[in-house]
Amino acid sequence: MESKRNTSSFRDPSGYVFIDGDSVKRVINPIYFGQFKALMDSGFYKTLFEKKFLIPHKIHSENQNQIIIEAQKIPFINYPYEWSFLQYKHAALLTLKIQRLCLENNFTMKDASSFNITFHEGKPIFIDTLSFDFYQENNPWLAYKQFIMHFLGPLVLTKYFGQDHLKTLALHLEGISLQKLSSLLPLKSYLSPTLLTNIHLLAKYDKKYKSNKKTVYKNLSKASQIKLIDGLYHYILNLNVDEKTEWDNYYNQINYNEVAYQLKKDFVKDWFLSINGKSLIDIGGNDGTFSRELINSASLIIVADVDPNAVEQNYRQIVKTKEKFILPIVTDVLNPVANYGFNNQERFSFIQRVKEANLNACLALAVIHHITLSGNIPFSLSAQFFSKMAPYLLIEFPTRADSWVQFLLESKREFKNHFDFYNEENFEKEYTVYFEIVKKEKIDSSERILYSLKLK
Amino acid sequence: MLVFEFAQKLGIFEKKIKMIPLYFDPGTGALIVQFLAAAVAGVLLFYRTVLHKIKSILGIKNKEEDDFMDDVDTKEDQE
Repeated sequence: MESKRNTSSFRDPSGYVFIDGDSVKRVINPIYFGQFKALMDSGFYKTLFEKKFLIPHKIHSENQNQIIIEAQKIPFINYPYEWSFLQYKHAALLTLKIQRLCLENNFTMKDASSFNITFHEGKPIFIDTLSFDFYQENNPWLAYKQFIMHFLGPLVLTKYFGQDHLKTLALHLEGISLQKLSSLLPLKSYLSPTLLTNIHLLAKYDKKYKSNKKTVYKNLSKASQIKLIDGLYHYILNLNVDEKTEWDNYYNQINYNEVAYQLKKDFVKDWFLSINGKSLIDIGGNDGTFSRELINSASLIIVADVDPNAVEQNYRQIVKTKEKFILPIVTDVLNPVANYGFNNQERFSFIQRVKEANLNACLALAVIHHITLSGNIPFSLSAQFFSKMAPYLLIEFPTRADSWVQFLLESKREFKNHFDFYNEENFEKEYTVYFEIVKKEKIDSSERILYSLKLK
Repeated sequence: MLVFEFAQKLGIFEKKIKMIPLYFDPGTGALIVQFLAAAVAGVLLFYRTVLHKIKSILGIKNKEEDDFMDDVDTKEDQE
């Protein structure tokens, strides 16, 4: 079997992840043996598994040079810059919850990177098994600064300046710098005691002691550290963002009547059944309304949408009803997440991860006119994009008579004639380069056509 | 500077106990400032608890965000 070291896993000397055929394994180096054994023997790992805080693992093999563990595989790793505000918040809260639990059990988290968390089965879960160390009495939290740079920083920027800042980590893989964060925030943020101490004062002290590399310890009792954690927890728990997006009230604006809406739902269900689908990616899936029709037959549904409010709404529903199979992420089809980091191999692109997930099907409802007419993407290129998603594609094509299409065309003004190609014939011509048409059906009482396509 | 001197008096800059080396710099300033941040958090939490009690005596319900993992919460302010 092929075995290769995961190119995202190189920072921590305690061990590294490698992919062994179809499974995810982790080598633990002797430097971490003491910690690992204590975590196993004390039952703390087990506690974390039971609470669904940490991805479960079992020991695969061990000798004096290394211990190898096998972790439960997560089908689609997602990154902080793909989360909605509430997801980001929950990831931050989970980190704090784990640190608190660590302290209660005489451990501590040695790092607090937001890449250590991913969404899986409807919840955030911690995936870095080696992030724990012994707690030394009265020592401060070594990962505190990282927590602020990875979590509190982007969240607070989002609160003040909108949801673009949820993507901060895509630009700063190591988290946003404290000085920058402090200088970006408005003056009124100084009035919040939490922000004053945890960002502004922190940035000041961080700068002041920049060249001082002395080790600080025994300056913070455990009770005080718990207060610090609780204070941050409480602040983040009540953090809100008030930003209206296009999505709000979307379903009031769409040009469907009740009949056409239901027909579309039934069509989606029949289609997924006919291809015996188990996994799906829903591009432009909004708050997951249509994907939810498939919840009984699918084991993984990724609902990708460009609008963070729609994604948040989807996630809210998942939290409320404890759905496990839907994964909502923020994705801009016109600019999907790229490969980031060293060698471009640390954080993987949207397309690469979708390919590796080997999904059965792709759903693209009410999205092609936006891609083509708002994004100016020719059919040949969008067809190529969809061919990378999954072998089966259900795509909705609003014809030129559709009111949305007309609106988008009008917005082109003098450039309008450039889009004369936007019609059924050209769509079919370009898409059949990659796909064959399995079924084509016009949605009654609308100007839209549903195409069921299969990869050639 | 005051905190730094205070820290020095307490002798908190000593030899490090053997732990796993960090792959990033935890920041000396960030370690020092936690003391202050924790003190402020303590005051806030105390204030909040008192306020909460007064409100509950007066019968005013707190509008708090719902937590997301109800099964495991250790926090005292959950209802």
